Amino acid sequence: MKYLIAEDEIDLQQSIVTYLKRDGNICEVASDYWEASEKAAIYDYDVIILDINLVTGSGLDILKILKKEKKKAGVIIISANNSLADKLEGLDLGADDYITKPFHLAELNSRINAVLRRGKFDGDEIMEFNEIRIDTKSRTAYIDGKAISLTRKEYDLLVFFISNKGRVLSKEIIAEHLWGDNSDLLDNFDFIYVHINNLRKKMTTEGAKYIKTAYGSGYQFIED
Amino acid sequence: MAKKTKLVWKTSKTFLLTGLILAFLSSLVLYFYTKYLLEDEVRESLYSTELRVENALKSGNTHYELPPIIEVNKVKRLSKEVIKDTIIYDPSEDEMELFRELSTFKTIDGIHYQITVRNMVVESKEFLLAIVISNIVILVLAFIFLFYFNTVRNLKIWSPFFKNLEQMKRFSLTSKESLEFVDSDVLEFAELKNEIVLLTDKVRADYENLKQFTEDVSHEMQTPLAIIQAKIDNIINEHGINVRQYEQITSIQKDIKRLKQLNKRITTLTKIDNNQFVNVEIVCLTDLIDDKIESFKELQFANLIHTSKNRFSVSMDPYLADILINNLISNAIKHSKQREEITLVIKDNLLVISNFGEKSLEHPESLFFRFYRESKANQSTGLGLAIVKKICDLYGFKISYQFKEDHHIFSVDFSK
Repeated sequence: MKYLIAEDEIDLQQSIVTYLKRDGNICEVASDYWEASEKAAIYDYDVIILDINLVTGSGLDILKILKKEKKKAGVIIISANNSLADKLEGLDLGADDYITKPFHLAELNSRINAVLRRGKFDGDEIMEFNEIRIDTKSRTAYIDGKAISLTRKEYDLLVFFISNKGRVLSKEIIAEHLWGDNSDLLDNFDFIYVHINNLRKKMTTEGAKYIKTAYGSGYQFIED
Repeated sequence: MAKKTKLVWKTSKTFLLTGLILAFLSSLVLYFYTKYLLEDEVRESLYSTELRVENALKSGNTHYELPPIIEVNKVKRLSKEVIKDTIIYDPSEDEMELFRELSTFKTIDGIHYQITVRNMVVESKEFLLAIVISNIVILVLAFIFLFYFNTVRNLKIWSPFFKNLEQMKRFSLTSKESLEFVDSDVLEFAELKNEIVLLTDKVRADYENLKQFTEDVSHEMQTPLAIIQAKIDNIINEHGINVRQYEQITSIQKDIKRLKQLNKRITTLTKIDNNQFVNVEIVCLTDLIDDKIESFKELQFANLIHTSKNRFSVSMDPYLADILINNLISNAIKHSKQREEITLVIKDNLLVISNFGEKSLEHPESLFFRFYRESKANQSTGLGLAIVKKICDLYGFKISYQFKEDHHIFSVDFSK
């Protein structure tokens, strides 16, 4: 996949690049409004990660350029401003998703994957990993063509794992993905163990042993 | 200084009091002075009459008498001269009358005489009274007039002061409404007005600045936090870190999460202060509570019980309604042990949420303050209930807390 990361904070930009490159994606960067608008207008990207407050201009104007040039790229806005009005304006202008700083790279990656699925398969939103096949439209997972019954959280967990395959996911990242702000109500992360163990059991019985423990308390979705 | 008196009443009171004392004292002085004058006059006239009688006796007119005004008696011995009051029957008036009486003893041509002259004093007493009464009447009338005049004038002079005072009472940091101060031709009042304008403008500007600063700070913190978070996410994916390092790094994630929550809540508070939630809709709270309970159940908090019988709606910003219910429920969850029931019910405009607690709060009055925590046990931001209070204040809902029968009970009264 080819991504454009339009972010003026170089440290953040480079961290995103590092994370996304692991899957063999091509990442181009833009560090100010002019660079971003130029690249967005000339080249084709699968997904553009767009900071709304670029030093020299607004990311919202870049959305307008994309619309004018009829570009197919999916756009995820990243913003330091957690305001509903900004969010709605961005989505109105054609952005596919909106994420507020600070965010987990795994979360960003999972959103990118969701945007890609919607863009690529025109409604047939399918996600595959070896013998695992997920129909994200009907929210069903299949292993070797056989549907496995998952709870809502187990399903979300599996999609999150596959989106971030190979990466170490800490309990904190997983908790925040599954429960958002309410995850701070968790005194400990026993609940996550429960959900992950249930998912792992259901998958292992079908022969899919991909959920591994990392560093004692983290998880990794990986092939042997 | 416990008792406060109105300025006009205070000055009038002093004025009236001085007037009364003055009227009383002057009447007293007038009374005694006039009385002295009258008595002196009576005495003089008695002596002069006595002298005439004496002269008449000397000239041989020995039977000079006019009772009871003049009486002449022959006596054996001389005695001391006496001046006194006496009551004598007056046949002309047919009543007892008060007389002033002078008795002197004289020896004329070798015969001892007692000469008694009298003078009626009744008339002078009445005269005295008339003088004192008219004095009082004049003084009282003068004071009433002065008092009225003074009060009216005072009210007129002080009117800019009172008007500005009323304006200042209406002053509110959060309201954008500007205050209209009245100018005055009294130098001190004009100065006071200028100082008030300067002060209120300064206070407002400072408040705005502070608010903007808080918002900016929390906003500016987001980007560095995002950088730290992203770097950590990459570090845990690098080979070559050990389990101990991993534990420490992921615990930083928890701290970042706390900061993130803190920022989010500060922003929410500032936005409520700035009146940025103007989107008022009819929100069905009973449905909202059901939804919330459903999502909290996924966190395995299956101990939430909602027992409202009827649907209940309120008009407010849906986002704030969500925060209100969410914060109340999460507060209850944080402070109740696992599996203990948390009940929610809406009845007669009143939302009541209660959870079990071993003892009442030590400082329930501080409950809705920012950053107030009863215990350090849970890592809360200390802003959840402050936001709840702010939302209630915004819409005029009344929130209260009580500890009853081993339960912490929060009630929100939606009736206005």
